[in-house]
Amino acid sequence: MNTETIAEELSSLVGNKNILIDYDSRMIYAKDRTQNLIPDPSLIVFPRSESQIISIVQWANHTRTALVPSGGRTGYSGGAVAQSKEVVVSFDKMNHILAYNSEDQTVRCQPGVITKNLQNFALENNLYYPVDFASSGSSQIGGNIATNAGGIKVIRYGLTRNWVYGLNVVTGNGDLLHLNKGLIKNASGYDLRHLFIGSEGTLGIITEAIIKLSTLPSESKVALLGVQEKNTMVEILNIYRKDLQVTAFEFFSEAALKHVMCESNISHPFKRAMPFYILLEYESSEFNDEVFLGLTESCINSSSINDAIISQNMAQYKYLWSLRENISMSLSKYLPYKYDISVMPSKIPVFIEEIEDLLNKTYPDFEIIWFGHIGDGNLHLNILKPVELKGSEFFEICDEMSDAIYSLVNYYNGSISAEHGIGLLKKKFLRYTKNDVEIGYMREIKKIFDKNNIMNPGKIFDDS
Amino acid sequence: MKVLVAIKRVIDPYVKIRVKQDHSGVETQNVKMAMNPFDEIAVEEAIRLKEKGLVEEVIVVSIGDKSVQETLRTGLALGADSAIHVETDQLFSSLLIAKILKQMVQKTGSQLIILGKQAIDSDNAQTGSMLAALLEWPLASFASKIMLQGDKCQVTCEVDGGLQTVELTLPAVITTDLRLNTPRYASLPNIMKAKTKPLTVIPFNSFDISPNMDMHTIDVSPPPVRKAGIKVASVQELVEKLRHEAKVLL
Repeated sequence: MNTETIAEELSSLVGNKNILIDYDSRMIYAKDRTQNLIPDPSLIVFPRSESQIISIVQWANHTRTALVPSGGRTGYSGGAVAQSKEVVVSFDKMNHILAYNSEDQTVRCQPGVITKNLQNFALENNLYYPVDFASSGSSQIGGNIATNAGGIKVIRYGLTRNWVYGLNVVTGNGDLLHLNKGLIKNASGYDLRHLFIGSEGTLGIITEAIIKLSTLPSESKVALLGVQEKNTMVEILNIYRKDLQVTAFEFFSEAALKHVMCESNISHPFKRAMPFYILLEYESSEFNDEVFLGLTESCINSSSINDAIISQNMAQYKYLWSLRENISMSLSKYLPYKYDISVMPSKIPVFIEEIEDLLNKTYPDFEIIWFGHIGDGNLHLNILKPVELKGSEFFEICDEMSDAIYSLVNYYNGSISAEHGIGLLKKKFLRYTKNDVEIGYMREIKKIFDKNNIMNPGKIFDDS
Repeated sequence: MKVLVAIKRVIDPYVKIRVKQDHSGVETQNVKMAMNPFDEIAVEEAIRLKEKGLVEEVIVVSIGDKSVQETLRTGLALGADSAIHVETDQLFSSLLIAKILKQMVQKTGSQLIILGKQAIDSDNAQTGSMLAALLEWPLASFASKIMLQGDKCQVTCEVDGGLQTVELTLPAVITTDLRLNTPRYASLPNIMKAKTKPLTVIPFNSFDISPNMDMHTIDVSPPPVRKAGIKVASVQELVEKLRHEAKVLL
């Protein structure tokens, strides 16, 4: 079907004001934060209601047109990229918080609600939506659910999955399902809600979510700890975790910090640079502050920590966090090849060492940037493109490198994608995390919900 | 030589200010407090002078209830040598504060006083100049650069439309502006050291100063709520509204 016909037919469903067809919009809405994929959608449709979504999906089944659901497009694995004339379904116009239930501390929201807006809405009601990450100002709750987003507070509050108490979905077949309806307990057979969480838009479209909110945490303090050896980090985490409510435990290398300092034009937080830094956030109180100081002092005395600075006010709190949150942005101009791998936290020290050995031996010229969520066993390893290499050449070499790195992931029973998803970029490596039998079951599940394979085809695995 | 730095505990500048229901002031219960940012710059400058070997001792002083001791400890953690807490539950005007500080200057034998140019809560910007007047010492206000040599001090001051460089002979008073320096972070070893540095508490009533209030707060009210914006359908309508309603176009 040509684009004009598609536009005409969709206009009759949603109105022509809710369709964009121009080149610029197509380039913007059919792409996420991946940099080496070229978008080519047929057009963008902006449904305004659940019923419009149902009619779009039914139309797609009739016409066998592929749909790509698109949220805030902050993903790093191409899950929301449309490359083969698909229709992109954007939820920008379904961005309302529909209801707030103060007794159950839940909100009912449309998929296009920006994560930050949900966080702010919770705060206005003296509650807290704890899933948070650097891109929360752009990402949408529907996309968060479809990727089971993690972020910087996972160590304390878990993933998006923990906060989704109900989901309305339109399956690829066009059926509307009301899943779990906000219940805390519900032992009535398969919980299909959890299949849709993290499904990357391959099973259907999320049309509404019931999100649980948390009570407000007490004021938190953040400290930046300088460490000499990255293999002591897990040990350090366990020391703090025994006596303190740790809400974030992030690490990054001096190389990562250098890029942030250069990009944001700020000076070094420490007098003497250290190879690695830990950003530790904990729930503060007079008592906890004393505990924190005591633990840190003993770590310094035992030389596992070299130096530490502690936020004394909100400006410093925000500044210290910005050092961690601005890493991805400061690297983007180097066309980094991004790994988002996870292993059991206890394996992290030996795992990092083996990867470094491998990279130093095989690709000594590549700049390696380490950062990540130590407490979650999640490492964001970024390899920067050397200036003399062309983008395509670089990514070719990286694919080779990936086989070696993912073999290590496989050996340590880890995952090739901790929180970014598989999308397009990582599907050829999926077998390093899941075997053929398991992938076979996943394919069968997709067939049940999406007989005509119209929902985000080619994502997670190739069409069979 | 001793340097005295006066610091004030204020609501953290990142906190959204709420006016009390009875309009008697702003809400400070369960609100995050911090050192006045300009005073933080003053502490930093004093410590830098000490690190350069130009002064021997940095004393921080703060006036208020027991909670200001936390702010004083921050000053000690940044590198001050000792702290003085003038204890009172009352909120004083700039003049009363200046009178107390004058006596503290005399008690400590300080030759240089550095203060923030203003506190971000009351925004008066008076204490420094009043203190200089009471002491009959020279004053350099809104400093963005301080060069100390012997008993001479060259200070670059931010004035309307430019910079003015003045030379003072010590003893003197200096108030700090934003561009003077970037305060350092409190490091853990220094926070631990700060716990054992001397912090002297002096009750306000031991001063020979009448606590009679020379200023009374009658009413504190929030700014008027901003009117919601409107959407216009066309550029023409926008121009129309700018001309006739907002009256910003002729």
